[in-house]
Amino acid sequence: MLLQRSKLMGQINGFLMFLPYLILLVMFAVVPIVLAISVSMEKTLVNPDGGFGNYLFVLQDFRFLPAVINVSLFLLIYLPTMLIVVAGLSLLLDTIKGRYAVPLRLAYLVPAGITGSVAILVWYFMLEPTYSPFAPLFAEVGWTQSTDIFNSGNLIWIFALMTFFTGAGNWIVIQYGSLQSIPDDLLEAAKLDGANGWQVALRIKLPLIRKYLIYMLVLVMAAGLQIFVEPYLLSSTVFPGIAKDWSLNQLSYTLAFLGSNLGAATALSLMLLVVMLILALFVIFRTDFFDEAKNKIKEQ
Amino acid sequence: MTTAIKPRVYVRRKKVQLSAIPSRVVVWVIMVSFALFSVIPMTWLILAPSKNQVQLQQDNAMSFGSFQGYADAWNNLMLFQDGRVVTWLFNSVWYTSVQVTVACAVAVLAGYALAVTKMPFRKSMLITTLIAMIVPQVAFVLPLFIEITTLGLYDTAWAIILPGTFFPFGVFLSYIYFSTTIPLELYEAARIDGAGDWGVFMRVALPLSKGLIGMLAFFSFQMNWINFFLPYLVVNSGEVLTLPVGLGILFSSTPALNPQVGANVLPIRGPEIALAGLMVAIPILLVFLASARLLVRGVLSGSVKS
Repeated sequence: MLLQRSKLMGQINGFLMFLPYLILLVMFAVVPIVLAISVSMEKTLVNPDGGFGNYLFVLQDFRFLPAVINVSLFLLIYLPTMLIVVAGLSLLLDTIKGRYAVPLRLAYLVPAGITGSVAILVWYFMLEPTYSPFAPLFAEVGWTQSTDIFNSGNLIWIFALMTFFTGAGNWIVIQYGSLQSIPDDLLEAAKLDGANGWQVALRIKLPLIRKYLIYMLVLVMAAGLQIFVEPYLLSSTVFPGIAKDWSLNQLSYTLAFLGSNLGAATALSLMLLVVMLILALFVIFRTDFFDEAKNKIKEQ
Repeated sequence: MTTAIKPRVYVRRKKVQLSAIPSRVVVWVIMVSFALFSVIPMTWLILAPSKNQVQLQQDNAMSFGSFQGYADAWNNLMLFQDGRVVTWLFNSVWYTSVQVTVACAVAVLAGYALAVTKMPFRKSMLITTLIAMIVPQVAFVLPLFIEITTLGLYDTAWAIILPGTFFPFGVFLSYIYFSTTIPLELYEAARIDGAGDWGVFMRVALPLSKGLIGMLAFFSFQMNWINFFLPYLVVNSGEVLTLPVGLGILFSSTPALNPQVGANVLPIRGPEIALAGLMVAIPILLVFLASARLLVRGVLSGSVKS
């Protein structure tokens, strides 16, 4: 009886500790989604019947496919670059022991400060031939005018560059951190077996951080699919119209606030959200990244 | 300790010798050039406000103007809407302080509840949290906008602050911390000594979680300080905005980045806009450099090492 009562008290106290977060979870994840689903079904001027018509409207919009293509091509450049550079540099960094790695690590973290609206500001000056420290290099390739660099054909590269530099450094440091947790005796054993530095890196270290790299790719892909600030600010302030409705989120913004079609805009947002959910469920149930975390709960 | 390591280093040095030297050089060249390339944009941003517009265009991009340059740029920036930039900075600071404080407190409690207590539905709550932390916040922006307008919070500080306190990644980090770093026996021992659930949390778990709280504060600061999309949508009045969104307004209403905005008579050009950008970037830079050790110690490795 007493034991049962203390068990019940434990459940209640645990629940009370969890409650503030649960309230936020409901308020800022569940309720918005429910509201959005209902708004996405509402009748609009162009779709007087409401329902799934708004979803169909977005899919048939002439700006939808180009935006899908832009974002896909952007991811096609951004994701492999992230994977190769982050894996490569964290493995290289791991070969330097001790104090020499510290200044390099700090240097890699510096670009993390250049993000969002600051990224637009800084990369404008980095790429604009009148101001750029790289101007002599650009001149070598024949880029002397602003339009040689800032033109619609280069946008994918420009956004990939911005997002890559914001995130690469701190992922290098995080992956380097996970390399540090590989037990020394494992590496010693490999060396005794005659493996050289390259073999240790590729055959032992890389497979051991594989799941962290996959996790990084999923997070980076989820963020990349949602790209908004960079194309939006570049296009709405610096070079008017250069990247108009370039990404899916920009299209959603345009539909909602310039096209007064909140139904279609929300439908697009929700479709993107479903892609995110699938990605999330994939990581949680189809990779081993969270196994340890999930099993902890069973054990107790 | 040091004597134990030294002989090993000598052995390795002997082994490295001839064949490995060129590849060592290549490795260093790659790493140092990436480091230089990483540092150039921020260095430029720090140097830019020290120059005037003419120097910015004509002098070497990485040159220093004068300290007076910073003062001049600041004074010019203050001319924009009667010092609006200061309001934005002030807003950013207090919004972020509230967000970080609330987000950390909520996350520590919830992570502890998941890891240690017998609360019901722990498994499904953990999975929900994992989903919420993988889906980026941007994905919720339009649904949040609808909710905020429905609640009548549009154009208030709360529209920006409240959504930023939802921090599932923090709950996950805290869950991992309480279920792996602190041994379960420690909680049991306290319980046998007669401490209740809240007593164990306050007297055992909380005093041991300084490292965790540092990490949570770092991530929630980074997430909220730079947030652009949601604040941009839910707030319209200049006096409620944050610095990153204000920076976007400076882009569009001054000729700094877009000379076509010619009608503007304010002297807000390259150096001034760089100074405003620097005010957004420096706090993140400092927080990152100060937290480098936390990142290395393994945000991820903590999640799998038990």
